[in-house]
Amino acid sequence: MNRRDGMRAKGEGRPSSAGRTRRVLGVLLGAVRQIVGAPDYQRYLAHHVARHPERSPLSPRDYYAEFLSWQFGSGGPTRCC
Amino acid sequence: MLARKMRHLRSTILWIVVAALGATAFAVLAQSRGESINAAWILVAGVASYVVAYRFYSRYLALRVFALDDRRATPAERLNNGRDFVPTNKWVLYGHHFAAIAGAGPLIGPMLAAQFGFLPGTLWLIAGVVVGGAVQDFTILFASMRRDGKSLGQMAKEEVNSVAGMAAMVAILAIMIILLAVLALVVVNALRASPWGLFIIASTIPIAMLMGVWMRSFRPGHVLEASAIGIALLLAALVAGQWIARDPTWGGWFTWSGTKLSWGIIVYGFLAAALPVWLLLSPRGYLSTFLKIGTIVTLALAILLVLPQTRLPALTQFVDGTGPVFAGKVFPFAFITIACGAISGFHALVASGTTPKMVTRESEARLIGYGGMLMESFVGLMAIIAAATLEPGVYFAMNVPAATLGPTAETAARAIAQWGYTLHPGQMEALARQMGEATLLSRTGGAPSLAVGMASILGGVVRGSGLALWYHFAIMFEALFILTTVDAGTRVGRFMLQELVGHVWEPFGRTSWYPSVLISSAVIVAGWGYFLYQGVVDPLGGINSLWPLFGIANQLLAAVALCVGTTILIKMGKWRAAWVTTVPLVWLVLVTLTAGCEKVFASDPRLGFLAHARSVVPGSANAARLVFNDRLDATLALAFMAVVVVVILASAREWWLVLSRRKAPAVHEAPFVESAFATGD
Repeated sequence: MNRRDGMRAKGEGRPSSAGRTRRVLGVLLGAVRQIVGAPDYQRYLAHHVARHPERSPLSPRDYYAEFLSWQFGSGGPTRCC
Repeated sequence: MLARKMRHLRSTILWIVVAALGATAFAVLAQSRGESINAAWILVAGVASYVVAYRFYSRYLALRVFALDDRRATPAERLNNGRDFVPTNKWVLYGHHFAAIAGAGPLIGPMLAAQFGFLPGTLWLIAGVVVGGAVQDFTILFASMRRDGKSLGQMAKEEVNSVAGMAAMVAILAIMIILLAVLALVVVNALRASPWGLFIIASTIPIAMLMGVWMRSFRPGHVLEASAIGIALLLAALVAGQWIARDPTWGGWFTWSGTKLSWGIIVYGFLAAALPVWLLLSPRGYLSTFLKIGTIVTLALAILLVLPQTRLPALTQFVDGTGPVFAGKVFPFAFITIACGAISGFHALVASGTTPKMVTRESEARLIGYGGMLMESFVGLMAIIAAATLEPGVYFAMNVPAATLGPTAETAARAIAQWGYTLHPGQMEALARQMGEATLLSRTGGAPSLAVGMASILGGVVRGSGLALWYHFAIMFEALFILTTVDAGTRVGRFMLQELVGHVWEPFGRTSWYPSVLISSAVIVAGWGYFLYQGVVDPLGGINSLWPLFGIANQLLAAVALCVGTTILIKMGKWRAAWVTTVPLVWLVLVTLTAGCEKVFASDPRLGFLAHARSVVPGSANAARLVFNDRLDATLALAFMAVVVVVILASAREWWLVLSRRKAPAVHEAPFVESAFATGD
């Protein structure tokens, strides 16, 4: 098959526009979660696997409960008037 | 070489153009003697000043004064635990920090200060933030970041001395109480005799609980999803409220008086602090954050699209102190009424809270600390614009208490005509009908007039449609996040009280010991509840006494923060640059002490607490209570002033000791560790 340098054959992993949109949306939603202070289970999993591989991670439900007790543990997030 | 020179020349020309634009805008503002100008000039003056200040002043602070060093690892990098110490993208952190500092303050303060005309508020918002507020936020963020996220109180104790630390803690608790009372008062005045408004706010409680159950049991941690549902339900309640209000039975159930509403909020505050956080506090927090940011963005876009004309003059005669909304001359009271947006001590708590633990590189503190506060000042400018688009007659008819205006539209029109502004009696009735309310007369506290201003701007995008919906949307957004501040603030306040008392009696400090939880929650709620009730029944209108107390307390905390900042700069050897914190400090001390003295000792009974106590006729209705409240308020103001003086003296002593080399400057920063980020990219 004649291929010029830089061109990929069909089906060789060119990122589809749907995949790209999903990735961008994922990044955006992750940013929104961080801005409003929402728990990010995926980030917790990644951090847990990296730092404590020997322990099994918390379930989403337990993680959310622990997140809340940490966030509101000494009163809550400081927000101004 | 030539390319660099060309770039430099282009950049210089650009900045000269921006500065000229800003100067022109200020000139237009200054010369508009009573004529209507376009609100765009206020925006241009503000934005031009902000960008020039950011580009030059904050850069000077970052490079020369704080000497931010990207080679130095921030606590987010060194102590990364995937939880509170997390290196965060600077724009995300900017949004997070802004969402934490922005609240009702930058909206209500400027609306109240519009009594003096739009110019004093505009000038203070712009000059105050550039020289004071943004500098304070940046300084405290920097200081806390270098100390692994220590709080303001801890820094005051370590870098100044324990007297300053204790004073800071007491001041913070006192401010909390006054802040919660005054915000609750704003909500009560907004929802008084407003069945539509009360229905929406009442429905936020079951909506939040539904979100709470969703996020805990049904779909754990899916905050965005639950918030989307919550917002949809909220908007449904917004629309449904119209029918509820019209129905004679339901409408009657949701029409509450001011005192009934205060009790409702007091009971709500206590329950919300007692219930588990996942059920009410946490979902309300998310809901209000989304609504807050969404509304601010919508309003900004609407102002840019509509570009309304001002109707309020630049200066009114009330700069002389005879103001009907609240007593006091433009100096010092314009600078006390507007705190958030210009300089607010409470921000120092946020800047030494979660944000410093999330900064990835030291240089990013400039955008987040300085830039974040600039954005809040912009929100304040939007509130000034919303106020300026109101006709003066309407503005005063809404914001002046009934004791001065009288009970009917006719008496109000007469009173307003005496001040030189026109108001036809039918005008207020027509406006009320347009906004879907029974009456808009003497709806004090700033929120209803802000809602009217916002509704006309937002409605103006599509030719004046849906004004009633926009009005109640604006009321909903204000009331929702004020109430969230109240219930979250009660919880934070109870932790603070437990910690404070725990120093003296250890068991009280155990935060999960139930008796301690109940008692401290009750004390905090009783604290702000008392001032709230006092404000609601105050014949002069609660805003007149409470808002200045709040402003004084807030500026006092800012003075504490600037003292801490100055101390740190001097200890770092940067005493030549310490003017960046001492100049705003001197101004603040001047303003707060003058305002405090006037509120306590002025001979005008509308202005001075003690004068008012003397003017109460003994034996008249509520005489004893009025006198007691006046004396209490006077004591509070004196106590705040005493704390300012104590902290300044304590700090000045440290400065003298260090500068005269009697004491070695010991700076308690975290150790220098080389950053991997700097070498990485």
